[in-house]
Amino acid sequence: MMNRELLGPSLFLALFTLYAVVAWQIPLLPFEEYETVTSATLPKVYAGFGIVVCLLSIGSTLLKPREKTNAGDVLEKSHMLRTFGLLILMVIYSAALEPIGFLISTSAFLLAGFFVMGERRKGILLFASIPVAVVFWFLMTQVLGIYLVPGDLWS
Amino acid sequence: MFDGIMLGLSTVLDFNNLMYVIAGCLVGTFIGMLPGLGPITAIALMIPITYSIGADSGMILMAGVYYGAIFGGSTSSILINAPGVAGTVASSFDGYPLAKQGHAGKALAIAAYSSFIGGTIGAILLMVAAPLLAKVSLSFQSPDYVVLMFLGLTAIAAFSNKGQFLKAMMMTVFGLMLATVGIDPSSGTDRFTFGQPDLLDGISFLLVAMATFALAEALVNVVKPEKKDAKNINDSDTPQIGSTKLSKAEVKEIAPVIGRSSILGFIVGVLPGAGATIASFMAYATERNLAPKGLKEKFGKGSLRGLAAPESANNAACTGSFVPLLTLGIPGSGTTAIMLGALIAYGIQPGPMLMQENPSVFWAVIVSMYFGNIVLLILNLPLIPYFAKVLAMPKSVLTVMILFFSLIGVYLVSFNTFDLFMMVGFAVVALILRLLSFPMAPLLLGFILGDMIERNFRRSMMISDGSLSFLWDRPLTLSIFIISILVLLFPLKDYLMQRREDKANA
Repeated sequence: MMNRELLGPSLFLALFTLYAVVAWQIPLLPFEEYETVTSATLPKVYAGFGIVVCLLSIGSTLLKPREKTNAGDVLEKSHMLRTFGLLILMVIYSAALEPIGFLISTSAFLLAGFFVMGERRKGILLFASIPVAVVFWFLMTQVLGIYLVPGDLWS
Repeated sequence: MFDGIMLGLSTVLDFNNLMYVIAGCLVGTFIGMLPGLGPITAIALMIPITYSIGADSGMILMAGVYYGAIFGGSTSSILINAPGVAGTVASSFDGYPLAKQGHAGKALAIAAYSSFIGGTIGAILLMVAAPLLAKVSLSFQSPDYVVLMFLGLTAIAAFSNKGQFLKAMMMTVFGLMLATVGIDPSSGTDRFTFGQPDLLDGISFLLVAMATFALAEALVNVVKPEKKDAKNINDSDTPQIGSTKLSKAEVKEIAPVIGRSSILGFIVGVLPGAGATIASFMAYATERNLAPKGLKEKFGKGSLRGLAAPESANNAACTGSFVPLLTLGIPGSGTTAIMLGALIAYGIQPGPMLMQENPSVFWAVIVSMYFGNIVLLILNLPLIPYFAKVLAMPKSVLTVMILFFSLIGVYLVSFNTFDLFMMVGFAVVALILRLLSFPMAPLLLGFILGDMIERNFRRSMMISDGSLSFLWDRPLTLSIFIISILVLLFPLKDYLMQRREDKANA
């Protein structure tokens, strides 16, 4: 398995290399041909500098004596699943916000979010979700006059 | 200066603005007290609200949140040994032992008084230093700005935690790269948009700030909960507050400490990249060295000096960090970087001209800091027992609320769901990077300064006919450039010393 200290710089190296490839393909406008600084100049500089920093970081990690992985650094499966669940919920909420509207999507997001976080008390599940969404909607639309999507599906 | 102070006073004393200071301090304290959430998150969550209230009021609100969050961090450091902010870690060294000895009230009172005096001394020094530096910086030209921003970026990386320099540099470069996405304002060429029309305007600063701080911080607390998070705190962990009164002898003991640490904190805060964390540790170490032999041994076991020093230094440093922001338009920390982004979003360009073009914003920020300190002292101290209850709030509710406010905050500004998807994507990247111990502040600084660096670099190259000679043509530019190089080489010294030690030990 890859050393944890090498993983970050390696990911960045891949990203910066990809960025460099795209930076070298930035089309130059006719008037830019004879200019010293074009829209591609700094992206190329950043890519070059970034790659050098990544290589330095990888080099210094390889030269360093390997340290033992701290037991506390290992992530628990249940925590990871919970995080993954929240990320999925955020994606669904983003997708549902405009079609089904603020009130329903927000109430559902909060309720499902509390559930994913391990909350099972019915009082908290209900009273911290629907009323929060309604109060927030009221404050935004009725007090501050900010438009909130009612839902494309029924408007 | 007197006219400026009066202008600032009249702006801050407006009823609405006064309410914003109070609300900012309360909300900041609330968020700052929650372990794992710091001032950057608190301010990021406030940004969507500030967009609807104007620049003066928005900056006043954010300054209040900043102060409140630092104060809130101190409270959780003292009561449950779980600093909400890195800048208050040093406060837990002696604050928590004091609380365990049954002097939680006294420790919180010392924290409040030290923060108040530190912040006040900082605000007075800011009133003197900012206009002076703003006048000097009027003579700055594009090449000076390029090297100054370069200094800001290298300093924040160099002063990051030991061994994190290269990681911080990678994050800075990543931030600079993100800033290049969208249409290039000089030529009109679109860069890194991959045909996606939603990217033509570039990536929104609010989106990056919310994703990398608010969302990522909330998710990190889920994937890797702290040992002492809200769920694990029970009543026996939260000590009784007790009396907040200090004796005359105690006041006499900590008064010179507060004075010294405030000045030290302010100076450290002005330096780009240093900030409250370094200031508080430096003040703590200085006071431990200065303490008489008998008192020196008390450090770490509940020393009043050991608590007063970092508390006054971190608040003075917070004020000091506004000097480069207000006078040069260059943020010295992640928090001031967020504020810079917010100012730019209001259409205000911070820098030497800010004092002349938007004097009400300039002076309102300075004066509101002083009011923020007063609010924290008179409002928060009596409310501490109630605030302490916040620490017992269910984490399940809190985390989901933060996610909701972050998402809806970004949506209410852009009304574009593409931004929400992008935000979740950024949050995943930020979460992975945080788990790999990459600092986030350099990314934000790089992202915010990226556009300004490019514009000033182009201008400088045009002035010098396409040559890099602008770096050494003027003594001022050359001096700042040399300082930047020295700062860049600073971590190398640590690395070489470490290697020598390793060799000697082998």
